[in-house]
Amino acid sequence: MTDAGADAADGTEPAAAAESGTQISATSVADAVDDLSGEGLSGYNYAYLDEHTKREVRRAILKGIAIPGHQVPFASRPMPLARGWGTGGIQASLSLLGPDDAFKVIDQGSDESVNAANVRRLAETTAEVETTTDTTEADVIQTRHRIPEEVLDEDQILVLQVPITDALRKVDSSDAANRRRHAHANYGKMWVHLYENVVEWGEIQIAARYPAMVAGRYLMDPSPIPRWDLPKLDDADNLFVFAAGREARIYAVPPHTDVEPLAFEDKSFQVERFPDQSCHSCGSTDTYLTEIETEEGTESDGGDRLYVCNDTSFCLKRQDDPGLAKDHHLDREGVDWGPGTPGGPAGADRDELAEGDGGDDA
Amino acid sequence: MGYVAVTAGEEIIERAEDLFEKQRLDDDAPSLSVDQVDGQLSRLTAQAMSEGGLYAPRLAALAVIQAQGDTVEASFLLQAYRSTLERWDETNPVDPSDMFATRRVSPAYKDVPGGQILGPTKDYTQRLLDFDIEGADEIDPTADWDLPDAEPTTVRNVMDVLREEGLVHEPAADAADLDDPVDTTREPVTHPAGRDEVLQELARGETGAVTALGYSAMRGYGQVHPTLAEVRVGKLPVRITHPYTGDDVRVTDVEVSESEAVVPVYAKRDDPQFAFGYGLTFGRNERKTIAMTILDASIQLDSEAEPAENPEFVLDAVDGLDSFGFIEHLKLPHYVTFQSILDRIRAVREGRGLDAEVGTAASSAADGGDAPAQAPEVSDDD
Amino acid sequence: MTLLDASDLRRVYGDSCGDCVELTGDAAGTNQCPECGAVVACADVSLDVEPGEVLGIVGESGSGKSSVAELLALERATDGQASGDVRLDGHDGNLLDADYETRHRLRNGAVGLVHQHVRDGLNLEFTGGGNVAEKLLAAGWRNFGDVRDRVRDLFEETEVPVERMDDPTETYSGGMQRRVQIARALATDPDVVILDEPTTGLDVSVQARVLDMFRRIQREEDVAAVVVSHDLGVVRLLADRTLVMRHGRVVETGLTDRVMEDPHHEYTQTLINSVI
Repeated sequence: MTDAGADAADGTEPAAAAESGTQISATSVADAVDDLSGEGLSGYNYAYLDEHTKREVRRAILKGIAIPGHQVPFASRPMPLARGWGTGGIQASLSLLGPDDAFKVIDQGSDESVNAANVRRLAETTAEVETTTDTTEADVIQTRHRIPEEVLDEDQILVLQVPITDALRKVDSSDAANRRRHAHANYGKMWVHLYENVVEWGEIQIAARYPAMVAGRYLMDPSPIPRWDLPKLDDADNLFVFAAGREARIYAVPPHTDVEPLAFEDKSFQVERFPDQSCHSCGSTDTYLTEIETEEGTESDGGDRLYVCNDTSFCLKRQDDPGLAKDHHLDREGVDWGPGTPGGPAGADRDELAEGDGGDDA
Repeated sequence: MGYVAVTAGEEIIERAEDLFEKQRLDDDAPSLSVDQVDGQLSRLTAQAMSEGGLYAPRLAALAVIQAQGDTVEASFLLQAYRSTLERWDETNPVDPSDMFATRRVSPAYKDVPGGQILGPTKDYTQRLLDFDIEGADEIDPTADWDLPDAEPTTVRNVMDVLREEGLVHEPAADAADLDDPVDTTREPVTHPAGRDEVLQELARGETGAVTALGYSAMRGYGQVHPTLAEVRVGKLPVRITHPYTGDDVRVTDVEVSESEAVVPVYAKRDDPQFAFGYGLTFGRNERKTIAMTILDASIQLDSEAEPAENPEFVLDAVDGLDSFGFIEHLKLPHYVTFQSILDRIRAVREGRGLDAEVGTAASSAADGGDAPAQAPEVSDDD
Repeated sequence: MTLLDASDLRRVYGDSCGDCVELTGDAAGTNQCPECGAVVACADVSLDVEPGEVLGIVGESGSGKSSVAELLALERATDGQASGDVRLDGHDGNLLDADYETRHRLRNGAVGLVHQHVRDGLNLEFTGGGNVAEKLLAAGWRNFGDVRDRVRDLFEETEVPVERMDDPTETYSGGMQRRVQIARALATDPDVVILDEPTTGLDVSVQARVLDMFRRIQREEDVAAVVVSHDLGVVRLLADRTLVMRHGRVVETGLTDRVMEDPHHEYTQTLINSVI
């Protein structure tokens, strides 16, 4: 879905395209402005980025795949989106997408959020890709802070937008010092952070952005996905690409890689708890929910607090077919895809998941 | 189900853009033209160009209009555009003393070779609102000046006087850095950063951030209180090697602000010399240039003792594109992570037997393990 | 059987002219090379430590004893050029040549170091318990309850009030910080502990209690130790054998009692007389 399509699209040989960008055949800046003013986005290269940049991003992704969990610096370009709004993700996506691909963008689980729509719009107008909201139909999915509920397969790539690339930033602000720690696999300071967390709170008090060891070697910040999604990274069929535009780093979790949340044997990793809650829209009890205060007020003053599925695309499917399994589209059954699936944390039932074994030695 | 708070899609985005654009268009007043902004609001375009790293006054004027005067947004438009442009060639290094200075002051000396040139400035005027500025007769106050028609000349660089005396410690630079400097828009900065990278990042730094951090070093969070050898504004020639003749030819000029300073922090004990700081920005922006000079000198101390002496801190903090985006991204929905955070605080409160919350915690009070059986209402010892 | 065997330890600061070692030392009366100005912090130092034995290294400041301690503790040389050969029973090869990860693993396991300066040895923002736990966690302990129990035992053993375990280390007194460093050095049951100036900055009464505590634990655990001090009293109290260093060289070595009662080298005699 990458090189052939992208390179063919602008009709240039890869070598000739090495430093290509937008050519302006104008004698003055004023003419250049005039030339461009009527042109809109057609003045830009296929998939916005020049071919040299896309190749560089793909090289960074390949290096990331070769060293799972290792942060690869790349020359993040200023994009027509604000940094912190998915510029890393969109650079990765645009470098991977070809004209035959279907692209899905989700922000906080929703295809319809304005930022998801904005990212999708950029890909549509510059890369001429087909877009979809159906997780199972997409070749590349760009996401902010969620991994879809439906199981991803070996033909799909999930591109995660990353605000803060280094799990060690919690314990040291210096990138230089943290790079040394990664080089030496020296994660003592992070472990002391967890130890002191348990001393203070009785259990590990990290909400989203839960640090994990990748392939037993690199400590990785999985981006601010909820803990709920972290087990999905482990031994998955698909490739995960993590891209940070502002911090100019790319890293990856290749298919079938061990991803283990940092935790103690007796203070284990726990996913979010939704005791007795089900989705107000589809009735699911095995999905990540978010709570909504209705307009009548909060629960304390008589209003209702409702829970709904966070993955809006899957919720719509479940509304039509309540029994739809998360691996319904695959030719296998019982695929382990995190909480609420066979082999997910602490068994199948979500209410049991929440109990874990933390908090017994405060 | 209108539940997902920011459900909208593309149509809503386009409407929001239309509303924003409408703010710029007023039926009763003519829209600003590129010429007007370029000619009359050159401080805005200068700031956009210096932060955008692209010398293009008319494009900058366009960006300023499009951004409705938000200079960081304007520099962002320029940077995003710049990153898509083809690179034709690289310019040859020029000596700053080739500058045709329209303004040049040397605080270090009472008089200097070439003289002090005050030039156009409001530095010494009183800051009184001029209520007559609107609707006043547009008469050039310098129209009846009788000036000789002399060509502008280049003036000798004050710092060279100190250099010749051996008083200036030149920061060590790799020969490789000089011949082939890293382009930090094409290669990521990693720490420790080379001086070529530091100067580029500072030159493109956000004016307010560069000023604030430079000020911090003078305010006492640091030890750099420089003496400016020179601040100058003027036109610097842009030179390239002619592709056919191989000659060094001037193709155009760029207006820049430049400043050089010495800092009485002696670089070496056995051969005392002043430390040295340098600043250069596109367009006229003396404040940023001077602050950059302070930060350059401060960063060379390479210490973690003060924020402005820590290169990592300074370079991370001055990037306007980064800070702009990340600060503003907090407006994006965060309900997935917030749900996760809610879960943690509820778990801890339940674990401590605090107000087990109706609805969510009713059936899960036992999750907290050996929490006290009867929960106190609220406890101050939390 | 020798536990720790070091030979030809050398560390030079500055650009060496190549003849520095010949031009410095006890006979030359200086550790700074008259030719090039480089400082030979230590050279030609060879020593060995038997299991359970305490070796003392004594000398005035600048005699090179801290350089020797750092080399023995496999600390990364932050500056200067180091060479020599350090071997530890049960581990292959010259450990000074080992890669970072190997040395890191050894420093979290077989070798413990008590730094002269608290800030080099402890993270003052961590809790006292966290500082000791770090050693265990870095060595691969993954059971929180086990880590807690071990930290608690070490606090008791090193006589730090257990109820202060979860307070930030910066709130501890100097004596407590020193004990926490010792607890940290002992956490992973090392084969050998290196103490660099264990009494620096402590009141005399606190010094005595810290030394008594260390001597008791050292005997109970039968752990070998190298004690570096400018203070003859510290070495006399703890060490079975003693090395005397001056100008970066070992000038005398022998059983501690012999060195103290019958010093051979003129410098040692001066050292002892000045104390008495």
